[in-house]
Amino acid sequence: MNKNLRTTNSNFIDQTSRISFKFDGKTLYGFKGDTLASALLANDIHLVGRSFKYHRPRGIMTCGSEEPNAIVQLGNDLSMTEPNTRATEIELYEGLEATSQNCWPSVNFDIGAINNFLSPFLPAAFYYKTFMWPASFWKKYEYFIRKSAGLGKSPTKPDKDIYDHRYLHCDVLIVGGGISGIIAAKIAAQNNLNTVLLDDKNNLGGTTIFQDNECFKINNSYSNEWLKKEIESLNSFKNLTIKKRTTLAAYHSYNYLLARENLTDHLSLDEKKNKIRQRLWKIRAKKVIIASGAMERPLIFNNNDRPGIILSTSIKKYIDYYGVKCGQKISLFTNNDTAYETAISLNKSGVSVNSVIDIRDKSNSAIVKEAEKLGIKIYWKHTVVNTSGYKRINSIELMKLSDDGTAVVENKTKEECDCLGISGGWTPRVHLFTQSGGKLKFIDKDNIFLPDKSVSEQISIGSCNGDFELDDVIKNSIKSIKNFLNINSSDYENLKINCSKETDKKNIWLLPSNKPLGKTKPFLDFQNDSTAKDVKLALREGFKSIEHVKRYTTTGMGTDQGKLSNMHALGIIAETAEVKMSELGTTTFRPPYTPLTFGAIVGRNVGEFFDITRRTPIHEWHVEQKAEFENVGQWKRAWYYPKSKETMYEAVQRESKAARDSAGILDASTLGKIDIQGSDASEFLNRVYTNAWSKLEIGKCRYGLMLNEDGMVYDDGVTTRLGENHYIMTTTTGGAANVLSKLEDYLQTEWPELDVYLTSVTDNYATVSICGPNSKKILSKVIPDLDLSDKEFPHMSFKNALINNIKCRVMRISFTGEHSYEINIQSNYGKSLWEKCIEAGNEFNITPYGTEAMHLLRAEKGFIIAGQDTDGTMTPVDLQMDWIISKKKYDFIGKRSLYRSDTIREDRKQLVGLLTDDPKEVLEEGAQIVAEAKKKPVEMLGHVTSSYFSPNLNKSIALAVVVNGKKLKGQKMFVPMENKTINVTITDTVFLDKENKRLNA
Amino acid sequence: MFLINCPYCGERDQSEFSAGGEAHIVRPKQPTELSDDQWAEFLFMRKNIKGIQLERWNHAHGCRKWFNMVRDTSNDKIHAVYKMGEKPPIK
Amino acid sequence: MLNYNSPINDTKKYPEIEISEVEPIIKLNLRGKNRDFITKVGKVLSIIPPTDPNTSSGNDNLSILWLGPDEWMVYANDKNALNDRGILEDKLFNEISKVKLGSVTNVTDHLVMINIRGNKVFELLSTGCPFNFNDFMNSKGATTQTLLNHVDIIIHNKNVNDLNLFVRRSFSNHLWSWINDSASRL
Repeated sequence: MNKNLRTTNSNFIDQTSRISFKFDGKTLYGFKGDTLASALLANDIHLVGRSFKYHRPRGIMTCGSEEPNAIVQLGNDLSMTEPNTRATEIELYEGLEATSQNCWPSVNFDIGAINNFLSPFLPAAFYYKTFMWPASFWKKYEYFIRKSAGLGKSPTKPDKDIYDHRYLHCDVLIVGGGISGIIAAKIAAQNNLNTVLLDDKNNLGGTTIFQDNECFKINNSYSNEWLKKEIESLNSFKNLTIKKRTTLAAYHSYNYLLARENLTDHLSLDEKKNKIRQRLWKIRAKKVIIASGAMERPLIFNNNDRPGIILSTSIKKYIDYYGVKCGQKISLFTNNDTAYETAISLNKSGVSVNSVIDIRDKSNSAIVKEAEKLGIKIYWKHTVVNTSGYKRINSIELMKLSDDGTAVVENKTKEECDCLGISGGWTPRVHLFTQSGGKLKFIDKDNIFLPDKSVSEQISIGSCNGDFELDDVIKNSIKSIKNFLNINSSDYENLKINCSKETDKKNIWLLPSNKPLGKTKPFLDFQNDSTAKDVKLALREGFKSIEHVKRYTTTGMGTDQGKLSNMHALGIIAETAEVKMSELGTTTFRPPYTPLTFGAIVGRNVGEFFDITRRTPIHEWHVEQKAEFENVGQWKRAWYYPKSKETMYEAVQRESKAARDSAGILDASTLGKIDIQGSDASEFLNRVYTNAWSKLEIGKCRYGLMLNEDGMVYDDGVTTRLGENHYIMTTTTGGAANVLSKLEDYLQTEWPELDVYLTSVTDNYATVSICGPNSKKILSKVIPDLDLSDKEFPHMSFKNALINNIKCRVMRISFTGEHSYEINIQSNYGKSLWEKCIEAGNEFNITPYGTEAMHLLRAEKGFIIAGQDTDGTMTPVDLQMDWIISKKKYDFIGKRSLYRSDTIREDRKQLVGLLTDDPKEVLEEGAQIVAEAKKKPVEMLGHVTSSYFSPNLNKSIALAVVVNGKKLKGQKMFVPMENKTINVTITDTVFLDKENKRLNA
Repeated sequence: MFLINCPYCGERDQSEFSAGGEAHIVRPKQPTELSDDQWAEFLFMRKNIKGIQLERWNHAHGCRKWFNMVRDTSNDKIHAVYKMGEKPPIK
Repeated sequence: MLNYNSPINDTKKYPEIEISEVEPIIKLNLRGKNRDFITKVGKVLSIIPPTDPNTSSGNDNLSILWLGPDEWMVYANDKNALNDRGILEDKLFNEISKVKLGSVTNVTDHLVMINIRGNKVFELLSTGCPFNFNDFMNSKGATTQTLLNHVDIIIHNKNVNDLNLFVRRSFSNHLWSWINDSASRL
């Protein structure tokens, strides 16, 4: 462990500031600028986790977001711990604690690894095949499967972190801060466009920023030096916003993109406190430039998953960028020129390179010649056939490839190594392009999918568009950017670029071995342990669609979504099934690109802001009186007002009784109110309500029922005629917004000829409702100069009045069946008016009642609540409200539907009253009603919609809907419950004061 | 998430709008004279096209105006918006 | 005597941002479709209602905001205009609604007016508003109806980094808390 794996030549690591962290309980050290992965590698730790199915030891394989293996549990706090984080993306901070996942008792000794030896018995879809039979055993299987499945542990307590959302609108959004993204940002910014550049790393520059090689020069500077200056020059633009540590998560239609910015994940535990952890940016860009780069591919050969097997460019980044040696005796295995750059970097840093094993016959490129000049040994036309070393690779075996590449020939050569760099070429990151609806094309020459047809305002540039050589990247990017942004010239017109050009290409999706395929383990999906064998098995078993093969074998289904080796799976399927890659297509790339925390998705909409709440103008009084509140839509409504130690039942009984015995007061401010003006207002009401309105006198109120066009009851309420062309309509609390929108719809689309204007005034008025035999006396105290005689102010009429010089509207209407008044006053005087009414009513024991007592009181009178006693399938006839349907009117919304064959059926469910044989027994709302208690299968005839114990009648009452209920009055029925059957009798819906005497009492 | 060009207010985020189904279904002027089948045709039958579709939208959280839209349902491209009462600009 | 209780009645200050409820302010909703309506409103108020979308017009006493092709909102620029609120409303109602030119509706207590000012006004709005303020913020008098954290709002860009936001009264306490939470985290 005392090996010195650090070099001193990195400009990106601050070796003066040491950081301590814990991995699997052990304290280790790294430096500022490290990722968890680079710090672990510097401590010679490769083994960081176990694979999902076989629990094979797995090590760090990449240096970025595509990492399949090095996923760790971060933190151990029950509310903050985060599973499945990629060690390659976690920036090291003081106090970081991480643990391995998917292993027990430890990553070094994992009992689950027995699966590795059982692997011949665990083929693709093993679980599907095995646990099918017998069906009744599934519950037992499930218990064990759930226990052993899953990666990492979810936090069990609420997240203490703070998250945030922001909207952002820009002219140009550039995704990716590699060399092409930097060029795009500068061109856009120089042309005065409002530009945003995102990069998921903490430093810009992509892979070019550590391309320190004399084969690659721009204007006679090393490419990394040139790029560094370009990045510095971006600071001068005020119209350019650069967001680092920001990952583009999703690309939706119309250039709406979501990006997650990490604000504190890289800070020490102390520095994180009270800061926003992550911010989700909701971006709308006029134009999008995708410069997301490419991912290096692995190679698929026997035992290609051992710790110490790392992508070649990642090894290069660890040495050149982080100053970390991934090993001391490194072999490289490649099918392209990339690995030679790594070989040269390692050589320069004094790491011995055993050899480069290249499956190609030859290459004459500058970079290969440079490597040869340094004396690096190259095995042309060779492949690795096996690797050894359980927890860390210790040797490889290589053999010569046959001419056609399908077999190996001659003798095995063994080479000892502690690290193997692999490179299978490059896969353009086209995920975002396809998320936006773009279609891909397959390029046979490079074996890659590239953006083809796009549906939004966007381009892809650089290696995500298939340009892999430095000169192509720069020149083609510039050309595309200028074209896309309609710009004639840029700073970059006469760049002199020198670079090595790849001369030879060769690709073998599944490399041959000296053993038959069945005896090898060539891994495709490292996280889910699916091998080339599994994919071939799926094809033999008849799966053809790539989407099916994916789900059957789980290839590409892990937290990494198979970024690394999906292409190989496709290649092997295409070869085996003998179809073209272009015909096979790809699986769908869905957002998010990398996993998002729930916190980032939810933002600040937690706790107090989980949902919107609406308050009435009298809300504070209810709070002061310790009312319990009920959510009605977004409204907070006073539910009941318990006196010390009262239960809800007791409070509601008391409130309901007081309202009929003397006086009750209700906050009805939540009712929807729509102001209607215009010369056709009466005609309009005729069309939207079932009853007639033309003859309603000014100053009078009328109850109206509104239907949907299908004839079903939609909403109800009282509308008052304030003037010749002026009405005020009330709607139900929950229906207010929908009613207004529906009425506007008819006015704008079906009846534009009507001169009618609707304005919502719901929030403009506080509505205080006073009911009960003493309501008149109380009102006369509040408004002494108003004549309350039945002659002057009868039921269903309205008066304008002044209370202490404040205008108000008083309606004599009733939802309880009692003599009652509703006072509407501008909201800011609502609370004061309420208090005044309470004061005036004190001598009459005026009792504030909540929504529950209101529901009870109206049920005693058989008044419906739209939405409780109706459910969108009840016509007025079903509700026994035939009286409200005008026979004279030619048309109104829903009229024609009232005599469709279905709505005139006699055996529809109809609203009835229910009385229990035992008057003390209160039915449950929603309980089913049957005619024969013992018949099986039981025929359900209806259900209870409202049910209460009535303190005024001293018995249980209920409303219900029952098939053919109208004709069943007096009939006995049953309500079967879990432990008993309740006997009930069908009755009329009005339980109290059938003659309506109390209205004028 | 669409960016919708309200014919009255200009380009706005989709969250300000609500969708209202197929456009140009005219409420019959004399419903009482229709058979059950004819009424049901108006009431229930709607097209569900893959391709160019004419739709009703409402700028619910803006000017509250209803308008029509020509949208390709296969790729969500909005070809045009036009006011209520106007003829679709694309056949 | 009835007491006046506005829902918020508060002012809060944060670095580069100040938020306050301004009350009582008269607000009237006007609707009409034809030219006579526009002319009549212009005569009564001495201000022509704007016909360009997302704009406003005004004088020292009043502002008129465009809300839609046939809808406007008039509001008083300061609290002192309250004394003649009844007169203004009645006059408009009699000369417009009564003669069938359109509608006049008092929405004084339907909407709560919150003034937000300071350099970070638009940053604050970007925490919950999908509207693109890039041009709006530089155009004095610009008006829009949109959503702020899923709540309907009207915004009037009074001056540089100084705007009035209108929200329905029942939502105002919730939105006020939310705006303050946002402002405290900018």
